[in-house]
Amino acid sequence: MITKPSELTGSEYIKEEGLTCQLDTGIDNIFDTEEGRKILSCIQCGTCVGTCPYGEHMEYPPRRIIRMLRGGMIDEIFTTDSLLKCVACYACMVKCPRGIRLSDVLLPIVKEQTLANLKQIPAELQSSLQNTLRYGNPMGESSRRRVNWIKSSPSPVPVMSEIKRPVDVLWFVECYTSYYSRGQDNSKALARLMNALGIDFAVLGNEEKCAGDCGQLTWESGLFETLTDYNMEIFRKYKFNRIITGDTHAFNAFRIRYPLYGFDYKVEHTTPFIARYLDQLKPKLKKKLDYTVTYHDACCLGRRAGFYEEGRELLKAIPGVNLVEMTHNRTNSICCGGGGGGMWLDTYFKEKGMERLSERRIKEAIATGADVLAVSCPYEIYRFEDALKTVDHDKPMIVRDVVELLAESLEETDDER
Amino acid sequence: MMKGNNHEPLRIGFYICHCGTNIASVVDVEKVAETVKTLPNVVVSRDYKYMCSDPGQDLIQKDIRDNKLNRVVVAACSPLLHEETFRKAIGRTNLNPYFFHMVNIREHNAWVHESREEATYKAIELSVGAIRRVSEHKSLERKKIDINQNVLILGGGIAGINAALTIADSGKKVYLVERDPSIGGHMAKFDKTFPTLDCAACILTPKMSAVKSHPNITLWTYSEMLDVDGFIGNYNVKIRRKPRYVNEELCTGCQECVDACVFKNPKFPDEFNLGLSKRKPIYLPFPQATPLVAVVDPENCLELKTGKCKKTCVEACGERNAIDFEQTEKIEEIEVGAILVATGFKTFDPARVPYYGYGVFPNVYTALEIERMINAAGPTNGEVLGRDGKKPRRIGIIHCVGSRDENTNRWCSRVCCLYSLKLAHLLKERTGADIYSFYIDMRTPGKSMEEFYNRIAEEGINLIRGRVADIYPENGENNGNGALVLQAEDTLISRVLKVPVDMVVLSTGLEPQTDAQEIRRKVNMSCSAEGFYLEKHPKLAPVSTFADGVFIAGCCQGPKDIPDTVSQSGAAAAEAMKLIDKGYVELEPNTAVVEEDFCSGCKSCIPLCPFNAISFEEERRKALINEALCKGCGTCTASCPSGSIRQNLFEDDQIFNEIDGILQDGLFERGLVTNGDNPYNIERNQSSERRCAESQSQ
Ligand SMILES: Cc1cc2nc3c(=O)[nH]c(=O)nc-3n(C[C@H](O)[C@H](O)[C@H](O)COP(=O)(O)OP(=O)(O)OC[C@H]3O[C@@H](n4cnc5c(N)ncnc54)[C@H](O)[C@@H]3O)c2cc1C
Ligand code: SF4
Ligand code: SF4
Repeated sequence: MITKPSELTGSEYIKEEGLTCQLDTGIDNIFDTEEGRKILSCIQCGTCVGTCPYGEHMEYPPRRIIRMLRGGMIDEIFTTDSLLKCVACYACMVKCPRGIRLSDVLLPIVKEQTLANLKQIPAELQSSLQNTLRYGNPMGESSRRRVNWIKSSPSPVPVMSEIKRPVDVLWFVECYTSYYSRGQDNSKALARLMNALGIDFAVLGNEEKCAGDCGQLTWESGLFETLTDYNMEIFRKYKFNRIITGDTHAFNAFRIRYPLYGFDYKVEHTTPFIARYLDQLKPKLKKKLDYTVTYHDACCLGRRAGFYEEGRELLKAIPGVNLVEMTHNRTNSICCGGGGGGMWLDTYFKEKGMERLSERRIKEAIATGADVLAVSCPYEIYRFEDALKTVDHDKPMIVRDVVELLAESLEETDDER
Repeated sequence: MMKGNNHEPLRIGFYICHCGTNIASVVDVEKVAETVKTLPNVVVSRDYKYMCSDPGQDLIQKDIRDNKLNRVVVAACSPLLHEETFRKAIGRTNLNPYFFHMVNIREHNAWVHESREEATYKAIELSVGAIRRVSEHKSLERKKIDINQNVLILGGGIAGINAALTIADSGKKVYLVERDPSIGGHMAKFDKTFPTLDCAACILTPKMSAVKSHPNITLWTYSEMLDVDGFIGNYNVKIRRKPRYVNEELCTGCQECVDACVFKNPKFPDEFNLGLSKRKPIYLPFPQATPLVAVVDPENCLELKTGKCKKTCVEACGERNAIDFEQTEKIEEIEVGAILVATGFKTFDPARVPYYGYGVFPNVYTALEIERMINAAGPTNGEVLGRDGKKPRRIGIIHCVGSRDENTNRWCSRVCCLYSLKLAHLLKERTGADIYSFYIDMRTPGKSMEEFYNRIAEEGINLIRGRVADIYPENGENNGNGALVLQAEDTLISRVLKVPVDMVVLSTGLEPQTDAQEIRRKVNMSCSAEGFYLEKHPKLAPVSTFADGVFIAGCCQGPKDIPDTVSQSGAAAAEAMKLIDKGYVELEPNTAVVEEDFCSGCKSCIPLCPFNAISFEEERRKALINEALCKGCGTCTASCPSGSIRQNLFEDDQIFNEIDGILQDGLFERGLVTNGDNPYNIERNQSSERRCAESQSQ
């Protein structure tokens, strides 16, 4: 059952959850904040460490960070790479019995310092951060080609600068879903769904730049602010009622960090957004998909924002789909390892002898006997398809975004045929 | 000269208390006394170290006699603490005790302010208000009403049982009302009890049978409190007795009916065993059930559902003729003087912590389920077996499930560490398994408890300091039938442990009963933030409530172990007896009164009264307030559209006078104080000047 309102504005999010921290919150003044007082209430139970997917690889996992901070020995932590291993999955934060917002405030601050103290930033991470700054996307693709995927989209995708009129829905497409071919499949599917539902939407096209969630979670605040300022400027150019995005990380940035910069649009992730149209959509889902499907809860959509049921309700609406659950689901889902910069640290982690989290996760998916691993985040397609290459599995398995499956089940219209 | 309403000239005595240094360190008490002395009609004005002490009280009494005082004001602590003390002291002279008013300059002043000068100023303002107010006070009488000598006890756990026996032994009549078909509560489910590890049944069952056979106890099980009417000393209570379809007088508890039931095999989840075993539609809750009477479950009995059963049970019962399918619900109406609520607790539902896999992995149990499993009379006759029928070789126990957690319950449930240690011992004894007990902080306060902890630790239990963060099947399979891995940080060695176990025990916390709010409303009690019943004072009135004549005991007041439950229920029994044995209650006269001449009979006050104290006299078409029920909350007084309800001790002129006194601008206007804008000659700092400027500019 879906009970949560899925569309809130920036200031409504702040009201709902309380302000995460101030823009200038840092390690020196954290105890002056409300979050700092919460940190003082830590009972050193170790839940954060026990649940952390890389907890066993951190010399200073969250619990110890708090003790070191209290004991005035925080600098010692920055000499290790412990927090580089935080994939910003929010597992520690949702389970902390004291409600300490570790992954929202303390850990990113520590990670920023860790990066600043690191003798050498892992090459892959370094280049994607640089690319993002230079080209507005971590792959280093030309910003002029951001809109190109539209040309191969069977359903029309209007661009704001071309249509020159207000729209209902501004669709923030994001990087992976613009450039990367499997990401484009995802975007085309969403375009098809929105056309079928008669939604008045448009994209920013080449004017869009990465929302910067990766920058936020590595607390590369300089980079993040550049992107925030840029995107906010573009938003102000146009008239629209709401923003949607299929990228859970962009969604996260719009919910948690952008409001600190005055962002106050209604914003929604595409999975809950489409779920709101379920009644309208259901009769159109004609094609039977005889799949056993298991659903992976994306950290930023599930644990961080509480949208667990929307993806599942959509999958259940597809005729023929048999939904099964993995051992770790909903609040207890296991991260794909892509957050907090983890997307570009696979090699680094491998060097350290750490299991790829996408592999750990895909093993659970395989154990369910499902044919399809359904996801709600573009990072995951890439990560899980890659993991499937290295993890043994007898039965074939494919990875699909929920919107891709919905589009597949959609009856074909005449002009599409 | 102003006159009091008894037409004598006013002679007011003012007393300000130092309260050691509690007040005097912040308020300049001498300055206040000096200032008040200058007010009209004040005959004496003194400060004293401890006004509530015997010499302090003597001082007031002596002044009343020597100086012919007819009004007294004391500025001290909260009236909640000592209003009664001073009223009594005054009552011992020939002055009516209601010619008195108390000003709170401790909680409302000294304890919450820092600036001595501002606090002194405020104390003066409040005192002037009181002096002005007390001038309008009237002589009032306390009414006495008789008290019914019976006591109602709600809940037949160890708290209710112990209180019932205590009160009944003293010769008073007790109604013990229990919701379940048998008394005994949680304790009846345990095999052994910490810290002594003595057998729960051996100490509990004798008390249960004593309740059953006690001539002064009327035991109604399978019953609920429907409705409460009346007031302290005189409650009318309606009790609903649910039909058990077996006549309590005739049933001998032989269970021949159970054997004869058309359902050859037990099929329905057994409530007492928390669903770990099955029962038939006619059953005895457990072998020591009190009363020892069978019950028919109407949801599943073929006869009650379809009317088409062979009724082999009735046949088996034969001449005893105890089974009665015609039985219907019965409403009993009783009159009692006091109500003792002992409704206990419920255990936390661990499905609310989804990552512990309760209800998902078959071998994850709650502690209460394990209590039943370990019990020799339990579903497995005391054998510890997993749902796969295998004896566990490794068992994990998780403390604090649902407790100390902002996401669920914030409080510490107080007994879980100890019962986890108990279960660790019993499980090791029964299975020889390796026990891994995961705790956050080991909390073992109380007599003999730390020694118990020590004993269990020496038995070789693995005690791990860290909260389990995740549970998953070792083999990666989804059904979780094999071993489960408990993942936690051992915080003392900073290492993440992954401990495979065959059985998991969740030490779930204690919560308020689901119907706690409903019961609270019926008897007009309050609940604390967590939802347990609120005691009148956490230290000094721990078993009384804000509803006079209603007492609480046991876990319904908050989590506690059996020793504390029994002590508390003894205390509650004594309080209830103190009340009824006196034979009468005196009512505070601060009640609301309808001025009948003005009452238009609009009835708007009636639904507003939170205590149902107002009724309507149809003949004269006037509202009538029952003094015994009225708590003096003032709701009706404030709401009456024709202003025809007044309230003793809160009359309009009393309150307006007090306000006038406090707002010194009013004093200036009436020429009562004249000394410019600084009537009391107090040295000011900036803020008080600003305040003065503000009040003048308005
Ligand atoms: C797993 C576990 C193990 C424990 N082990 C120990 C131990 O070894 N030693 C120890 O000292 N303590 C132990 N405790 C604590 C112990 O259970 C409590 O101290 C004790 O049961 C409190 O008694 P009570 O009468 O207040 O409440 P309860 O035992 O809960 O009894 C309340 C009774 O009131 C009835 N009732 C509830 N609502 C109503 C209603 N509205 N109307 C009528 N009747 C109602 C209930 O049916 C029940 O019979 C343990 C607790 C747990 C959870
Ligand atoms: S989970 Fe929360 S309370 Fe426990 S150690 Fe971590 S930060 Fe502290
Ligand atoms: S957010 Fe996830 S990865 Fe980061 S410390 Fe918390 S649990 Fe570990």
